[in-house]
Amino acid sequence: MAVVTKAAPAASDEKELLISGSEAVAEGLTLADIDVVTAYPIRPYDTVMQAIAKKISGGQLVAEYIVAEGEHSQFEIVKHASTVGARVFCGSSGVGWAYAMECLVVTPPLRVPMVCLVGNRALDDPGAFGVEHNDALFVRDLGWMLCWIDTSQEAIDTTLIAYRVAEDRRVFLPLAISADGAFLTHSQALTLVPSKAKVDKFLPRYDRGDLLLHPDNPITVAPQANEDWVIEIRRQNDEAMKRASTVIEEAYADFRRVFGRGPENPWFEEYMTDDAEIILVGMGTISLPMKVGIRNMRAQGKKVGLVRLRWFRPFPTERLVAVLSKAKAIGVVDRDYSFGSPFNSGVVANEIRAALYNAATRPPLVGFICGLGGREVTLEDVYKATDLCYNAANSGKSEAKTIWLGVRE
Amino acid sequence: MPALICEVVYRGIFQKNLAARMVRGIVLSARKSGRWGIAFGRYGDSPQRNGIPAKDFAIVADTKEELEQNMARYEPKHVDVTVCVDDTLSKGVESWAWYGLQPINRLTVPNGTLLMTSLQAPEELLKDIHKKDAPYKLALIRAKASFSGLWVYKEDHTEARILGALAKIAPAFLSLDGVSQAIQEIEWGSDLKVASARKAYERLETREVKMTEGNTEIPYSFEMPKWWEMREGVTIPAIPIGKPKEGGQGYVPERNPYFKKFTTRTMRPVIDFDTCVKCNLCWISCPDSCFDVMPDATFDANMEACCGCGVCEAVCPVEKCITMVNESAFSDNASQWEMWRKDKAAYKTWLLATIGDKKTTARSHGFRFRGQYEEELKNDLETGGVEITAGIPGENAQHKTV
Amino acid sequence: MAEATTFTNSTQILEPFRGIKKVTIEEYFTSGHRTCQGCESALVMKLMVKAAGARTIVLGSTGCMYVANTTYYTTPWVVPWMHTQLGSSGSAALGTAAGLKALMSKGKIKSEPINVIAFCGDGGGADMGLGAISATLTHKEYNSLILLYDNESYANTDIQLSGSTPYGANTTFSPPGKAIRLIHKRWKKNTAGMLAAGHPECRYVATVCASYAVEMMNKVRRALTIGGPTFIHSLDPCPKGWDYDPMLSHELGELAIETGIFPLYEVEDGQLRYYGKTKAIVDGRARKPVREYLLKQGRFAHFLEEDLEYFQKKVDEMWDKWEVPGVVPFRRMDATKAALDPK
Repeated sequence: MAVVTKAAPAASDEKELLISGSEAVAEGLTLADIDVVTAYPIRPYDTVMQAIAKKISGGQLVAEYIVAEGEHSQFEIVKHASTVGARVFCGSSGVGWAYAMECLVVTPPLRVPMVCLVGNRALDDPGAFGVEHNDALFVRDLGWMLCWIDTSQEAIDTTLIAYRVAEDRRVFLPLAISADGAFLTHSQALTLVPSKAKVDKFLPRYDRGDLLLHPDNPITVAPQANEDWVIEIRRQNDEAMKRASTVIEEAYADFRRVFGRGPENPWFEEYMTDDAEIILVGMGTISLPMKVGIRNMRAQGKKVGLVRLRWFRPFPTERLVAVLSKAKAIGVVDRDYSFGSPFNSGVVANEIRAALYNAATRPPLVGFICGLGGREVTLEDVYKATDLCYNAANSGKSEAKTIWLGVRE
Repeated sequence: MPALICEVVYRGIFQKNLAARMVRGIVLSARKSGRWGIAFGRYGDSPQRNGIPAKDFAIVADTKEELEQNMARYEPKHVDVTVCVDDTLSKGVESWAWYGLQPINRLTVPNGTLLMTSLQAPEELLKDIHKKDAPYKLALIRAKASFSGLWVYKEDHTEARILGALAKIAPAFLSLDGVSQAIQEIEWGSDLKVASARKAYERLETREVKMTEGNTEIPYSFEMPKWWEMREGVTIPAIPIGKPKEGGQGYVPERNPYFKKFTTRTMRPVIDFDTCVKCNLCWISCPDSCFDVMPDATFDANMEACCGCGVCEAVCPVEKCITMVNESAFSDNASQWEMWRKDKAAYKTWLLATIGDKKTTARSHGFRFRGQYEEELKNDLETGGVEITAGIPGENAQHKTV
Repeated sequence: MAEATTFTNSTQILEPFRGIKKVTIEEYFTSGHRTCQGCESALVMKLMVKAAGARTIVLGSTGCMYVANTTYYTTPWVVPWMHTQLGSSGSAALGTAAGLKALMSKGKIKSEPINVIAFCGDGGGADMGLGAISATLTHKEYNSLILLYDNESYANTDIQLSGSTPYGANTTFSPPGKAIRLIHKRWKKNTAGMLAAGHPECRYVATVCASYAVEMMNKVRRALTIGGPTFIHSLDPCPKGWDYDPMLSHELGELAIETGIFPLYEVEDGQLRYYGKTKAIVDGRARKPVREYLLKQGRFAHFLEEDLEYFQKKVDEMWDKWEVPGVVPFRRMDATKAALDPK
């Protein structure tokens, strides 16, 4: 268990670079000294593979860089490399992630701690490059850890934290970092890149331990199992995911101790929530127009705040409920859809409804669907959402239907 | 009796079609007297493998409600009738579906019936059939095991005769007329098969089995670990490398302790160690690595690992050095090599007697050439050389069609 | 594990077994699997790792040799073994080899040659996994062997036809009926020939049959020694799907070769060498009629004379018409036709 000490001042040995979210992930991978990486082209995630290729040809990173013949192989190759003890990286977007689905399914029971970047992208058809979160959400029920990042800084920091968490023997689960297409993968921001020396203090070497596939540790992995075994194997994964929550808390605390920055609360970012009557909830870059809108509304005396969810799996139920129950109304803005689901809402809205079910106080909740296919989320969208939340707060009732924002009507 | 629950224990693949015909026949026969029924194979036995014991089930009841009590199950907890269509299964059943060895009569209810096709006497069979903590009936149809494969079926009437016998065993659910009618209508039915069913009804031999009777051996079992006792990552330990036999000579591979495979066997290799030329062919060709290398460079088939495929006999260059013999001729899995080492003369006598018996060395493992089954049946029907399920030797000689 | 000194990406030098008496006595694939009586593919597994030895990692894609071999707790494997997805034998070989290479070259584990073998059935190899195998055979810096055990159907799932199932065979997806006698009218894929021809930097492709155990093992040893990605195609008689007495597995393997239906050859650095009975056929020995092979199997029991003749004709073409007999189905355009060709 890491001891949380007072945050040290920003280290002088960090260098500041103007890089995109994808490039920031590549910086993180270089510092993490990954061993095997597999690439296959699809926008927008593949900018990270282009960045890694440069790192390798430039000599900053020594790793096996394999261009696969499809996403299925892309994910299988790193899965197997990981079982012999290699630190691996992979990633995809949209239908590419879908094409790899069979290989995504098998990694949690095999306890393969692969780290992936999902450059969120709308699913075909029509072929579209813009962001939607449905691709990454494919694996939400399977034992994958899922988080959403918001800035290039969060991209590099989360990359380092991801390996620390996934490769912890108590966890050994795959982890997908989601980055919104375009807004994060393709736009550059000033980013602090830490020193290798500090990273080595924070991130131990991957030790496959008793699960290592090697002649020195002869084991049989994944024998076929009938009804006598499967539920026990699922139960083991359930336990690993529960343990992941503790390990994530430890990792962020240690990150702050070593690097002198990083959030106190790993799970979600709170913006002006302390006295908020209305709390808007979202994941990813959707938070940026929201923050601007909130500042403007605050100027008009509206007490609005934001919760930007970082971790979706494991889901921070208790901490989230503690914050949200204080509000007069909650507005959940989904950049995804779950057609035919309760209230026809997005995935996050339904998760939060479920999380609040046992809460002592359950504020009214309004579900919104917004920014699909990369559509920009505007200030008007944010204002409209807030107004509808105030209506719910006044009526004291949850809105039964889900509101689509920014759609031509 | 609200329901009649039957299990059919059979040899995977070799009797897959036979078993399916029987359980379907049971349901369709019971339907003739207005009953409801279901027929299903044990999912855990699938995908089947040649020889590995498997089970099918037929359940018939007066009402749909009674039937539902037995649905959405892999197997019933108990059965009124256990049907076994290969008497070598009397040694026990180690199937795909579970770990450990189960007695053939394990699910048979007290005073229930174990119905077998066999040429052996009940007393002989009871040397193998495990002791049960309740009395039951052993019903016999005089017949040899009917083996064929997935695509070519041996029409030897076994399914019809089992149905006829069941009409005798459970008249409350299966009337002989119902059975006859069902057989007539079913796609594989024929008048001759109806005749076979009726003969089986008349000639069924039934014998009470007392609690004191049977094989006293305690079958090996397997303890299922709890979820937190199991290794993570769906991993299990590998099998250790084997060791030399004795004095650094020979080699004995380590073997998986949880699946032994010998109940898959219907014939076993009997080895003449005196004529063995140590060519290594049986050892190298065995898919189950069942041959231990002896210090004298001969090979001893481990009888817990051997599944009786017969490849060793097929590749052995020496006449009668390896001979496949029916399991009914053996009462244990002891090492032949140790027996030979102890008393070579006695072993020779035993060997010659064992491989000399035409009945126990007859091959019965399915398809070898097109027209084979028809030839065998024709021969059996006319000469009655060997009893077959169609009836008493020669009695169907007037029927030229099968 | 100790740190490495120098990494050379070398392979184990596995000299051929000089005769059956010289074969390794240890078993690395032992009893405890749930395969059929007389399962030739189980024998292939046994011989494959016997040839490779203890310092080997085996990856197995879904199929009989996964499901029947390794039911939970009942593994027959002495060497480390791991399941991979049906279409992933190529990726499994590549990923495992790449992981070891990375860790050894970066000094993270002891540097030593470890054999990497991935196997697949005809469903996993000739159908679903072909693309991944093809990709792997172009990655010459990773040492691995992909072994395709071809029992000519999806035998595990109930005998459904694959791209490697022979013309006309009875399978649960091609049952002969009153209206249609032969549902399956595709000719078997020439998998080994295709992979040898299509991957000029793959240094070794061979076909084998376990009826010739020592030669089969020596092909495996050659493939592992020569290095880079290599491929072996094994024809495995299947008592379950082909419907025959399990005792005949060996005989049917021999007949497949003697009838010329399955040629035995190896292609090393582009050099083609026929071997065994196939060499005799190339040198002019008469092939046995295919009916001697086909009519011993229940899956062909529904064949009429015309079916047998068609089958024989197609096999004759392999030897009389193919530019590289039994290996490459190209035909040289005959002179008269060439003359008429406008180009």
